Amino acid sequence: MSIDQPPASPPPAGPPGGPQVGADEWVARQSHRQEQLPAWLRPAQQLAGRVGWWPRLAIAALVAAALPALGLGGFQLQVGINALLLAMLALGLNVTVGWAGLLDLGYVAFFGFGAYGFALLSSGQLGSAGIHLPAYLSLPVVMVGAAILGLLVGLPSRRLIGDYLAIVTLFFGEAFLEFTTNVAPGTLGGANGIVGIDPIQAFGFQLTSNTGYFYLLLILLVATMAALRLLDSSRTGRAWRAVREDPLAAASMTIPVSRVKLMAFAFGAVIAALAGTVFAAQQISVFPPDFNTAYLILIYAGLILGGAGSITGAVLGGLVVVITLDGFLRSPTEAGYIFYGLIVVALLVKLRPWRKLGGVVAATVALGFAAHAITGAISASAVAGGPQSSGWIASAVRDWVIVPASPKAAGNIGFVVLVCLLIALVQARGWWRTALLPPAIYLAACVWEARLVAEPSITRQILIGVVLIVMMNSRPQGLLGSRRVEVIT
Amino acid sequence: MDFFVQELVNGVTTGALYALVALGFSMVYGVLKLLNFAHGDLYMIGAFTGYFVIQWFGGPSALTIPVPLLLVIMLVLAAGLAGGLGVAIERFAYRPLRNAPRIAPLITAIGISFFLENSALLLFGGQTRVYNTPDFISLSSGLSIGPVTISTVQIMVLVLGAALMISLQLLVNRTRLGRRMRAVAADREAAEMLGINVNMTIAVTFFLGSALAGVAGVMAGLMFNQVTNLIGFIVGLKAFTAAVVGGIGSIPGAMLGGLLIGMAESFITGYVSSTYTNLIVFGILIAVMLLRPSGLLGRAQLQKV
Amino acid sequence: MTAEREPVLALDQVCLSFGGLRALRELDLHVGDREVVSVIGPNGAGKSTVFNVITGIYEPGGGDVRFGGRSIAGQLPHAIARLGIARTFQSLRLFLNMSVIENVMAATYGGTKAMPWESILRLPRARREEREVRALAEDVLAFFGQRLAGYRWDQPAYSLSYANRRRLEIARALATRPRLLLLDEPAAGMNPAETHEITELIGRLRDERDLSILVIEHDMHVVAGCSDRVIALDHGVKIAEGGFDDVAGHPAVIEAYLGRDPGALAEDG
Repeated sequence: MSIDQPPASPPPAGPPGGPQVGADEWVARQSHRQEQLPAWLRPAQQLAGRVGWWPRLAIAALVAAALPALGLGGFQLQVGINALLLAMLALGLNVTVGWAGLLDLGYVAFFGFGAYGFALLSSGQLGSAGIHLPAYLSLPVVMVGAAILGLLVGLPSRRLIGDYLAIVTLFFGEAFLEFTTNVAPGTLGGANGIVGIDPIQAFGFQLTSNTGYFYLLLILLVATMAALRLLDSSRTGRAWRAVREDPLAAASMTIPVSRVKLMAFAFGAVIAALAGTVFAAQQISVFPPDFNTAYLILIYAGLILGGAGSITGAVLGGLVVVITLDGFLRSPTEAGYIFYGLIVVALLVKLRPWRKLGGVVAATVALGFAAHAITGAISASAVAGGPQSSGWIASAVRDWVIVPASPKAAGNIGFVVLVCLLIALVQARGWWRTALLPPAIYLAACVWEARLVAEPSITRQILIGVVLIVMMNSRPQGLLGSRRVEVIT
Repeated sequence: MDFFVQELVNGVTTGALYALVALGFSMVYGVLKLLNFAHGDLYMIGAFTGYFVIQWFGGPSALTIPVPLLLVIMLVLAAGLAGGLGVAIERFAYRPLRNAPRIAPLITAIGISFFLENSALLLFGGQTRVYNTPDFISLSSGLSIGPVTISTVQIMVLVLGAALMISLQLLVNRTRLGRRMRAVAADREAAEMLGINVNMTIAVTFFLGSALAGVAGVMAGLMFNQVTNLIGFIVGLKAFTAAVVGGIGSIPGAMLGGLLIGMAESFITGYVSSTYTNLIVFGILIAVMLLRPSGLLGRAQLQKV
Repeated sequence: MTAEREPVLALDQVCLSFGGLRALRELDLHVGDREVVSVIGPNGAGKSTVFNVITGIYEPGGGDVRFGGRSIAGQLPHAIARLGIARTFQSLRLFLNMSVIENVMAATYGGTKAMPWESILRLPRARREEREVRALAEDVLAFFGQRLAGYRWDQPAYSLSYANRRRLEIARALATRPRLLLLDEPAAGMNPAETHEITELIGRLRDERDLSILVIEHDMHVVAGCSDRVIALDHGVKIAEGGFDDVAGHPAVIEAYLGRDPGALAEDG
């Protein structure tokens, strides 16, 4: 060892990447973490720390309750309802996946079960006159049914660990789709689904407006959050997390592992089914594809984005995913805000120092105009396409991005190249990464304007997939969760 | 009886396809203990590759090259592309998660599967692509044994499937590479300490497994004629079932499971109704998992404390 | 030896094989009331297997395990734990992402009864149990004095040092209110001062908490310091039993640790 060697750098202060053997260092790190916050935020944080969880929840609920009064349009209200639904579903999934650590890939079927159950009990589908139960009867029936179904589906978890359970539940979800599509079309409606479902009604009162459903969902969501918060700090919540951490140790500490797992399954199922009943009543119709794998993955994206294991995380993740994808990705102009906004935010957050950030931005802008000018000089048709989006962003980037006359083919090629480039970007280190950044951003913008903006529904799905991959690789604890430590045995 | 034999032949052929997909799936599970949900989508990529190769050489009714050459190009390209993609996925999405909690790579795999399906939708569109196999491989040129007919494509699938499975079995059991793969599957850390290049071995395993899925995709395209961006999902599910029924991680198990699932499907479709095929296959899976969780040919694992 | 009274734990001719490997062969073992028994033996002698058989992780292939006079062979681990057998793990299996006090409180699951809805609605029984559980956890942690003092209670378990993790495992086991405590290498990886502390702790556990204790330990200072009786295992067979000095000097034990011919070994260097 040479004497000139610089002193070893202190270990990084970030969250631990593995089990740490040594001093009790958490206390030190915790105070350090608080110091990292900007000074003006610290009093706010101290205040938030003093306020209990339920005043915070109440304030959030009041803010949300004020939204429809601000004059949300019909579309915004529908997005709000969808967002609350997904938040509710992510919350239920959090019990099974986040707390009990069981990978339930048939979760969406419980949502479907709730919806179909409510539909059958509140429409002309069963019997000659149909059944039209009031909500105070149909909801409990559906929820009890969902709990039983959850127990049945969870039964294999008694014998099967992790991976196998994922397969069984995935199949269960598929089987639910097959069942509703193919079996008993007279009753379940087959691919045509069930239409003409009653609204939620009780004591002669009917819930028909979307505003009403917004408030109903909000109330249910807040109540569920509070219930889960209380459950989390009870013996049941501790047992769930203990089973997630180490099933064998949990069993040796008097926890009946199978029963606790089944309870987690049933709880998730009940919450999903509750969301399903409201969904069916609000939509007035249910169809098998409402409960397909794509929707399951959307729920997962919400949970993972917010942070599995955290109530607030699950809810915020669900809200953010729907508001982003449903609310903004519909119209090309607003989609553009999200797309370019995300790039700018990512650069602002990740790129330091400022000099480097400025250099990358300048290089990207210059690269674009240069590429556009050169390509245009060689072949006019290569830039003839123009942005597929509209609005001021489109006119701003018109002379910057290259969109050929046939944007589809070029966009496809660009997409493949972009994926390769992004992979290279992830792998590259140091100077290379900085150098690759401008072309990657520029190409992303070109592909966006040429192809992705024109296919919002596909783009949305691709983004969901990307969210899962990126979150799991870079921040598995989600935006709000705290990093977990795991010993691999 | 004739009907039975015909269904048996169809079942074995479909089963051979499932077995090929299940093999790759099982191999990957063996070395990484990861359920690669994206595996079925590599099959889809293989099927699309075959389709575009046909289009490239003049389309099904006006081929510019001899049919055997076309088949070789299709298979090699599909295997290469799917294999390469598999390696890339492992390298960029799974490797960073090798020491993460078990649930993380699983969720990543779901994300990748979703990403691939929808990227294919973006690139190739949502319409069903048709190979039009009968235009260049005559339907009538197969074997006829009494009333039972085995088409040329079916013979091809059976021969190629059997050849691939046998060579894979030999590769795993008789070669140095196979020994390394088995060592990594048994204990990754110990293998690393013994000087085995674990990353390389895992990459090779991914390549082989994914290439098999790609080949299966081409054969499925030839046999079933239809390719969409969603075919991978359901075949992936069937392959999981096959691998689990046979005993996950076991190569003969995957073959046996594939054949069983293929035949079960064929008989259910033939004798009961195609409506219930998937539901019954699902039932078989549940039954096997509950009665024999380690699969038909798998070995029960001792719990380490 | 405690011959008259029914021992707390009695293994009677217990056998266990994994495939062809016979891990335990006709093993007899008993632990009396408020007795500390140490199990020693070279690696692979079957010490941890004994623990796994007692706690129900493995089902014995033959023979019987009795606890307080009742047969517990074949019962599930959580049921056995509820009967009053608690254990620690050699490889430390804490609930790492739960707080210190939650680790301890989680172990009271079997002793409490509140259903989920009672916890959600904070009904009287849930509230009372939660208070009792909290008090029990604080009491158990207080047993370790400054080592697991109050300011550490809300830290995640992964933030603890190695020695404190071992202590927390013992605290967690105590929270199940056991009669018999199984300690699997409680002093592994500890420095001499901490090892000495553990030795004293085992004595205190017996005297202050009225526990019967079965210890697996490699550190002979601990074994000598805490044991009322020592049992030596090799290849799943009991080769010696008795006081520490008798067992430590027993030819079979020396042979088990050093090989067949200690003299030849010494000559080879």
